[in-house]
Amino acid sequence: MGVRRALRSDHAVGWALAFPAVFLITVFGLVPIVWSFVLSFQKTNLIAPNPPFVGLANYRALAKDPVFRLSVVHSLIYTALFVPLSVGGALALAMALNRKIHGIRLYRTAVFVPVVASTIATAIMFLVLFDKNFGLANWALEKVGLGPFGFFESVDGALYSIVAMTVWGWLGFDVIIYLAALQGVPQELIEAAAIDGAGRWSLFRNVTLPLLGPATLFLVVWSTINALQLFDEVYFLTRGGPLRATYVVVYYLFDLAFQRGIAGYAAAIAYVLFLAILALTIVQLWVGKKVVYYSS
Amino acid sequence: MRRSLFVLTVVVAMVGAACTGGGNQGATPTGPVELVMWMGYTPPPPVSQSLEYISLKKLVGEFTKTHPDIRITVRYTNNDNSLIKLKPALQGNKQPDITYQYGTNIAQLAGTPKVVDLTDRINSDASFDWNDFWPGERTAATAGGKVLGVPALVDNLAVVYNKDLFAHAGLPEPTAEWTWDDLVNAAIKLTDPAKKQWGLAFPADGSETTVWEYEAMLWEAGGDILNADNTKALFNSPAGVTALTPLQRMAQANALLLDFNPDAGKSENLFNSGNIGMIITGPWDLAAFPKANYGVQIMPSFDDPTNHQTIAGPDNWVIFDNGPTRVNAAWEFVKWFTAPEQVVRNSMATGDLPTRASVEKLPAFQGFDEKYPGVGTFVSNLQNVVKARPTITAYPDVSAALGQAVVKVLLGKADPKTALDQAAEEANGILAVPT
Amino acid sequence: MSEGTIVEQARPLELQAAPGRRGRRLPFSPWHLVLFPTMLIMLVPLLWMLVTSVQTLNETRHFPPVFVPSRVHLENYTQVLRMAPFSRWFLNTLIVTTASVAGNLLFCSLAGYAFARIKFFGREVVFLLVLATLMIPFQVVMIPTFLIVKRLGMIDTLGALIVPNLAGAFGVFLLRQFFRTLPIELEEAARIDGASRIGILFKIVLPLSAPALATLAVVTFMWTWNDFLWPLITIYNEHNMTLQLGLTTFQGAHQTNTNLLMAANVMSMLPVLLLFFAAQRYFIRGIATSGLKG
Repeated sequence: MGVRRALRSDHAVGWALAFPAVFLITVFGLVPIVWSFVLSFQKTNLIAPNPPFVGLANYRALAKDPVFRLSVVHSLIYTALFVPLSVGGALALAMALNRKIHGIRLYRTAVFVPVVASTIATAIMFLVLFDKNFGLANWALEKVGLGPFGFFESVDGALYSIVAMTVWGWLGFDVIIYLAALQGVPQELIEAAAIDGAGRWSLFRNVTLPLLGPATLFLVVWSTINALQLFDEVYFLTRGGPLRATYVVVYYLFDLAFQRGIAGYAAAIAYVLFLAILALTIVQLWVGKKVVYYSS
Repeated sequence: MRRSLFVLTVVVAMVGAACTGGGNQGATPTGPVELVMWMGYTPPPPVSQSLEYISLKKLVGEFTKTHPDIRITVRYTNNDNSLIKLKPALQGNKQPDITYQYGTNIAQLAGTPKVVDLTDRINSDASFDWNDFWPGERTAATAGGKVLGVPALVDNLAVVYNKDLFAHAGLPEPTAEWTWDDLVNAAIKLTDPAKKQWGLAFPADGSETTVWEYEAMLWEAGGDILNADNTKALFNSPAGVTALTPLQRMAQANALLLDFNPDAGKSENLFNSGNIGMIITGPWDLAAFPKANYGVQIMPSFDDPTNHQTIAGPDNWVIFDNGPTRVNAAWEFVKWFTAPEQVVRNSMATGDLPTRASVEKLPAFQGFDEKYPGVGTFVSNLQNVVKARPTITAYPDVSAALGQAVVKVLLGKADPKTALDQAAEEANGILAVPT
Repeated sequence: MSEGTIVEQARPLELQAAPGRRGRRLPFSPWHLVLFPTMLIMLVPLLWMLVTSVQTLNETRHFPPVFVPSRVHLENYTQVLRMAPFSRWFLNTLIVTTASVAGNLLFCSLAGYAFARIKFFGREVVFLLVLATLMIPFQVVMIPTFLIVKRLGMIDTLGALIVPNLAGAFGVFLLRQFFRTLPIELEEAARIDGASRIGILFKIVLPLSAPALATLAVVTFMWTWNDFLWPLITIYNEHNMTLQLGLTTFQGAHQTNTNLLMAANVMSMLPVLLLFFAAQRYFIRGIATSGLKG
């Protein structure tokens, strides 16, 4: 294709189109980030004026903080479970849902509906469902001779219960993204491959999956960012407990900044988290570039 | 795509309209002084338990009628969220004039000059009679030697028990002379897993809700949280172990309903439905037990049979600085609102304990016991409020460490001595950091 | 958005296998064996919420659980409605969400297209900076954001909830990823025909992007609908509260009635659910509609 691009005008048009969003994101996103970066070098409770600068003291304190280490471990466990379960599960479900059989609309609706439940609504729902003594889940487990299980009330199970709940809540969203992406898979390619005698698995592996690459990359990056910032569920359900079993990084820093008044230290934690997510995202996008097929 | 341009126009117009509605309402040189007040211990009507809001609005209305130069806007702000909301407001100079604050927030608030130091106002006004407030209240309103708040609410912990369950188990009802051994034995007898029945409900989230119940026990056992100058943890003393042991015994006997989310009201609901024998709680909870045939008894004692100490959670009205005119007006209101004549009317209207000792002797207070059954025990229990939690900025961290120790024992992950020693080590580390 | 009929069912991606290869036929598609249990797992929590919302408080604390309430206690719903200025909060939420959705659709489309298709100076760096705003927890930046919004004079107005949410990194990222999957040949052909970038975006790219736009709309809607921390710190006046903030704020400690909460939950979910059903067909459009291929 010999489309000649006038480079100069592309710069102008590109910037003109990107500007409104970039401007808003800068003012309400980037500026606050830089602003609170300053906090991480201060000793501040967000109340007292003129907080003193303490250099790198907040960052140095991180290295010796066992609760911080614990929170990082919990965040990593959560992320390592949540991302593959939700994205992988959604891929499988989307493949199953992308066909014409009786009742498919009902199935799709069932998968999508949890998406509209707010975090608070979901948390309250599962609190009732997973109640150790009165919950429906333990009633069912008892019927098959298991349990009772402590769920959010057990040191060993609370984090996994949150994984289960959030996967339930996010699965529908991921399925929507996959179904949307499946619409973009050219039918001709599949028909051509099928005529060539490719089996179902090889069709999926060699044709469909690569075409879902951009969607998968998007979901993996997005889910990872979200998983590492887990907060609302912990705040509403367990407050980090029992016995700090669900202390995750963002809950810890919120607790420090708003309940305990150590906001400078909390900001330092946030920047360590930020760098970790940034590095992870760059790696994911870089790997994505190598393996993901774009049509352009 | 014209439609989206239209939408954009509408958006811009709406945003514009929304933006013009704002602006800081302050004192105008000629008109009355405008004050903003945040309160939030119960939501406004028509929620059933909004007696406080109704009473407060009524008194505010009365005040502004006699003080036409002052106008007060009352805004409901959930107390649990008050500090979260206040921090940005203070940073942005958008602070309200008067707020309701938990006693445990005082030390953090002490860091800002925007909190009005009331010491001189209180000392220079003999008619205010500061010493009429209970000692525990005065301590909780003071940080760093400055009085930063006026007591807004006082409560304390006692044991609320289900009379029917005691009768069914053939147990005598608790007396004012009872001991922790009595309580533990009763709790074990009241427990019946088949009936989903537990002896005692206990908060197990490790938050201040867990900690303050334990702190009352610690004081009953003769122990203390920190040393006199708040530099070292004392809770891992033998008294601390004595205080934690009853909880360990009941946990081992599965006699405790451990409530990991105490703010959600699970314990209260289960007590009300007759699944729980005893609950350690305050007067605010009695309204949540309309179906339970309950009694109230003061806290049990340990070795010293006279020591039935309890803990109070006094909350405060805190005034923020929005210029001298507004500060003076705010003080004028708070002074009036916390005077005995208003305190007694507020107590009679809401069932809240009187914040001033003199109120109990007022004729207007007669009939309180009949109107609010069970609350009388909490009123007399104010005598058992001897100590208060330390008002230092590090207290939330000390509390967090102590909370973990209690939960460890409740879950059988450690014995009392080990758990308390670990927590003390953590607390001492925190206290060693200069502030 | 675009002409042409919307086909509600997706065409099956994989061809139905030839009958000869399948062996014995089940009376129903084997996919039901997977999909039916999945449906149950997804629906049980919601159905349970519905059941609990019409129970008495005691029935919510009963074991074994009460599946059929003594009576359908619809008064739980009226009681919740009486609790608070629901209709006002609903209106506020609607204004805020509509404005945020419209802003995101427009601004993120423009920016997403620029990042996906136009090579301009600083593109990669700017894109990474935009993405970076997703990586810092909101809890940390909420005070600086508050101060900026305050400087704009928007505290305690709906503007505080709308303006910072008119465009977000999520939307830019989502649309950029989606636009890059579209066949570029169409756009190149239009370029040869002399179409402008903006013309291509609106006439070719966006009509093909209904699923992604619908996704962005729903996600933006949900966030604005659900957000509680930001409204909590920026809104003081009850009249300017959103539904979620109102619910959270008015759910004071020690007075949580599971049945009432569930009723409130159901009510707060209903409008989103309706919108969702209306928008659902846009997620799963048949590719037949585009008619632009080949």
